[in-house]
Amino acid sequence: MNTMISNGYLENLIRSWQKPAAASLSWFDQLRANAMDNVNTLRMPTTHDEEWRFTDISPLSRLPYPAAYAAPQLQSSDIKHCYLAEAICRLVFVDGQYAPDLSNISNNAGAIIGNLSSLVAAHGDTIARYLGQLAEFQNDVFTALNTAFLHDSACIIIPQNVSVTTPIHLLFITTQKEITSYPRCLLIAESGSNATVVEDYVTTEEAAYVTNSVVEMNLADTAHVSHIRIQRDNQQAFHIGNCTVSLAQASQYYSVSITLGAYISRYNLNVTLAGEGAECTTDGLVLISGRQLADTHTFIDHVKPHGKSRQLHKCIVDGMAHGVFNGKIMVRPHAQLTDSSQLSRNLLLTNKARIDTKPQLEIFTDDVKCAHGATVGQLDKEEIFYLKSRGLSDLTARNLLTYAFGGEVIDRISISSLKRELEEIVLARTQIS
Amino acid sequence: MSAVLQNLVNQPYRHGFVTEIESDIAPKGLNEEIIRLISSKKNEPEWLLAFRLQAYEKWLSMTEPRWQNVKYPEIDFQSISYYSAPKPKKKLASMDEVDPELLRTFEKLGVPMHERAALAGVAVDVIFDSVSVATTYKEKLAEVGIIFCSISEAVHTHPELVKQYLGTVVPTGDNFYAALNSAVFTDGSFCFIPKGVKCPMDLSTYFRINTEGSGQFERTLIIAEEGASVSYLEGCTAPRFDTNQLHAAVVELIALDNAEIKYSTVQNWYAGDEKGVGGIYNFVTKRGLAKGVNSRISWTQVETGSAITWKYPSCILRGDNSVGEFYSVAVTNNYQQADTGTKMIHIGRNTRSTIVSKSISAGHSNSSYRGLVRVAPTAENARNYSQCDSMLIGDQCGANTFPYIQVNNNSAKVEHEASTSKIGEDQLFYFLQRGIGAEEAVSMIINGFCKEVFQQLPMEFAVEATKLLSFKLEGSVG
Repeated sequence: MNTMISNGYLENLIRSWQKPAAASLSWFDQLRANAMDNVNTLRMPTTHDEEWRFTDISPLSRLPYPAAYAAPQLQSSDIKHCYLAEAICRLVFVDGQYAPDLSNISNNAGAIIGNLSSLVAAHGDTIARYLGQLAEFQNDVFTALNTAFLHDSACIIIPQNVSVTTPIHLLFITTQKEITSYPRCLLIAESGSNATVVEDYVTTEEAAYVTNSVVEMNLADTAHVSHIRIQRDNQQAFHIGNCTVSLAQASQYYSVSITLGAYISRYNLNVTLAGEGAECTTDGLVLISGRQLADTHTFIDHVKPHGKSRQLHKCIVDGMAHGVFNGKIMVRPHAQLTDSSQLSRNLLLTNKARIDTKPQLEIFTDDVKCAHGATVGQLDKEEIFYLKSRGLSDLTARNLLTYAFGGEVIDRISISSLKRELEEIVLARTQIS
Repeated sequence: MSAVLQNLVNQPYRHGFVTEIESDIAPKGLNEEIIRLISSKKNEPEWLLAFRLQAYEKWLSMTEPRWQNVKYPEIDFQSISYYSAPKPKKKLASMDEVDPELLRTFEKLGVPMHERAALAGVAVDVIFDSVSVATTYKEKLAEVGIIFCSISEAVHTHPELVKQYLGTVVPTGDNFYAALNSAVFTDGSFCFIPKGVKCPMDLSTYFRINTEGSGQFERTLIIAEEGASVSYLEGCTAPRFDTNQLHAAVVELIALDNAEIKYSTVQNWYAGDEKGVGGIYNFVTKRGLAKGVNSRISWTQVETGSAITWKYPSCILRGDNSVGEFYSVAVTNNYQQADTGTKMIHIGRNTRSTIVSKSISAGHSNSSYRGLVRVAPTAENARNYSQCDSMLIGDQCGANTFPYIQVNNNSAKVEHEASTSKIGEDQLFYFLQRGIGAEEAVSMIINGFCKEVFQQLPMEFAVEATKLLSFKLEGSVG
C-alpha cells in the first residue's frame, strides 16, 4: 500500500522537481533543496498513522498530478464575483502562480504586501527569518512538498503599530484539472500591528485537482490578527492545508475556518502560544454532503503562562459524508494559569453520515483551567416540535435549525459581505427536501 | 509542608512483604514445551491445550503495541517464569488445610477469608501467584446453583461451560497480551450464575504476586444467564521487588437477556519506589459482552498501584436496550504511569452507556484517559454520556485525555465532557480556617472529587478505597 502511494503521486512529483543550479544556491534555493531532501525521506501517510487514521488519502496515488507551471490566462471579469467588496487590497494566485494583473496592492494602508519575488529585494532578511521556519517540513510530507515547489507566495508584513482596517483578500483560484498547486502565504505582524486576512480557495474547474497549501503567520508582541479561511473547492478536488501560527507575548490570533468543498480535505492548524498572555480563538465550520470527507486537525500549544485559547468546531454532515475532527490542546510544563476551552459539536443529518471526533487534552502543569467537550447527534425533536407548533412545516423547521447550528460560527466573521455570502451558501445547502 | 506531611508522602507500601512459601516454579522462558508443561501440570483436557497452542501461534506472529502513552524498557518475554505455584500442592478440601503461612499472609493483607468471610459475607477465591488456593462459601453458593471456583477446577468439573464461553469475548488473537495470556494462563476465577438467580452475596477474588521474576496471567470468566445478576469484586497486591513484574490478565464477562454483572476492582499492586524502580506492569484486557436484551454490564475500578496501568475495561452492547457503565478512579504518584479508560461499542438498538473517569496525578506521574465510544450503523437511538475529570497535584505531573468518538448513526446522542483542576489554595484555606488540618482537607477534597465513583463500589470496598487514596496522596500538596 505504502509503496503504491509513493510510486504514484509522490514519485511523480519528485521526478518533476528541478534541482536549482548549484551556482545560484541562495537561501531560498537552499530552503527548497532541504525540503526536497525531506520529501525523499518521508512517505505518504496511510490510515495506519494515528494522525491519518480516519482519512484515507490512497486515492491520491491514482492521480499523478504534476505541479502547475504554465501561466494561466484569466480575465478580471471571469473572477469578479469572487472579489470581496470590503477588501481593497487583494492578491490573486491562479493555480499557485501570482497574477499581478488581477491583484490590487496599491491601497495597502501602510502594510507591505506583494508576491515573494517582488518583496525579497527590500525585505529579504525579514522574509528569510520566517519563511519555511514556522511550518516545519521535517515530518510532514505535504509541507515538505509545498516548500520544495515553493515559487510564488503571498507575503504580508504589517509594520510596527500599523493597523490595516480593511481586510486583505488572498484569492487562490484553480483553473486547470489534473494539476497540483502549491499556494503559500507568509504573514509577519510586527509588534502592535493589526490586520485581517481572508484566505479564499475557489475554482473554475469541475474535474479533480490537488491543492496543497501552507500558511505561516508570526505575531510579534501585542499584534492582533484575524484570519478567515474559506475552502470552496469542487467536489472532486483534494485539498491539503497547513497553517502554522506563532504568537508572541500578549498577541491575539482570531481565526474562523469554513470548509465546504473538496472530495477529501484536510486542514491542519497549529497555533503555538509562545509568549506570555497570548490568546487565540480558533473556530471552524464544516458543511459537507455526498461522499465528501473533511478532516480538521488543530493543535493549540500553550508554552508560556497566562495563555488563553477558545475553540468552537462544528460539523454538519449530510448524505454519506464523513467528518473528522481532532483537536489537541497541550499545556506544557510551567505554562501556569492557562485558560483553555474547546467544544466540538457535530450534527448528523442522515443515517449514512459519519463523524469521528477526538478532542484531546495533554496537560503537564497543575494551575490551569482546561475543559473540553464533544457532542454528536441529530436535531433536537423538541426544538422541531416547538417550531412546528408555531406553524412551520417539518422541512422548514429542520432547515431553520440546521442553518442556525451553522450560523453560530458564521456570525463570528466580521466582514459583512462575506458573512452574507456564506449565510446564503449554508442556506442553499440546507434547503434540501 | 510539615513533618507529618513528609511522613505521609514517604508512606511505605504496606503490602510489600514476601511470604516464605516454597514455590513450584517453571523454568524461565516461553516456548511450546512450557505451554505443554503448564497444561500437563494442570492436567488439562486436549481442547484446552489446543486453545493455548493456537494462541501461542498467534502471539508469535504479533508485535508489541507501541501506541500507548506509557514508557517502559523492552520486556524480555523469555526471562519470565510462566508458572509459579505454592508448594505443597494437593487438593484442598477445607480451609484448615491451607498452609498457615499463606493464611497469615492474607490476614496481613486483611482479606476477609475463613471466619472473616463469614462476618463480611463475602465469598473469596484467592489467587496466589497463579494458582487458586482456596475458595470460600462454595457450598452455600452451590445450593442456588451458582458455580464459583477457580478456572482450572471448572475446566474439570464444567468443561462444557468453559469450552462454550472461553475466548468468545476476548478472542485468542485479540491483542498481543491477550494472546500471551491465552497461551500461558495458569488460573483465575470462574463464575456461572444460572437463569433467574440473583447471587445472594458479593463474590470476590484476591490476587497476589509473590515470587520474584514471575508473571501473573490469570483468566476470569463470568457468565450470567437470563435474568441472573452478580456483583464481583477483585483486589490485588504484590510484594516489593526491584525488578518489574508483568501482570497480563484477561477478564471476560457475558451477560445474557436481562442479566446484570457488576465488576469492581481495587488495584493496589506494588507501584515501585519513589524513584520509579520496580513495580508491576499491569497490562490487562477486560471486556464484557452485553449479549442479551436489557442486559447490563458495569465496571468500577480504583487504580492506585502498579508502576504502569494500561487497560481499558470495555462493554460490547450487542443486545437491544443493553446498558454499559464505567466508573474509574486512577491515582498516580511518584513515577507511576497510567493509560486507562474504556470502550463502549454500541451495536444494539436503544443501547446506553455512561463513562465517569477521575484521574489524580501527583509527583512525576503521568495519567491518561483513553476512551472509545463507537456507535455502529445498527445502534438506533444509542445514548452515551462521558465525563472525564483530572486533578493535578504539583507541576511535574501530567494528565491527558484522548477520547475517540465515532458515530455512524444519526439517531445517536453522544456527549463528552472533560475538565482539569487542582486543589486550590482557597479551598485549602477554607478548611484550615475551619480547624481542619491540611492533610485531612486534601483527603476530603479528593474524596469529594471521586465520590461519584466510590458510590458505585460495594460498601467495604468503598471504605478501603477511601483509605488507600488518603495514604497514597496525603502530603503531596504543599
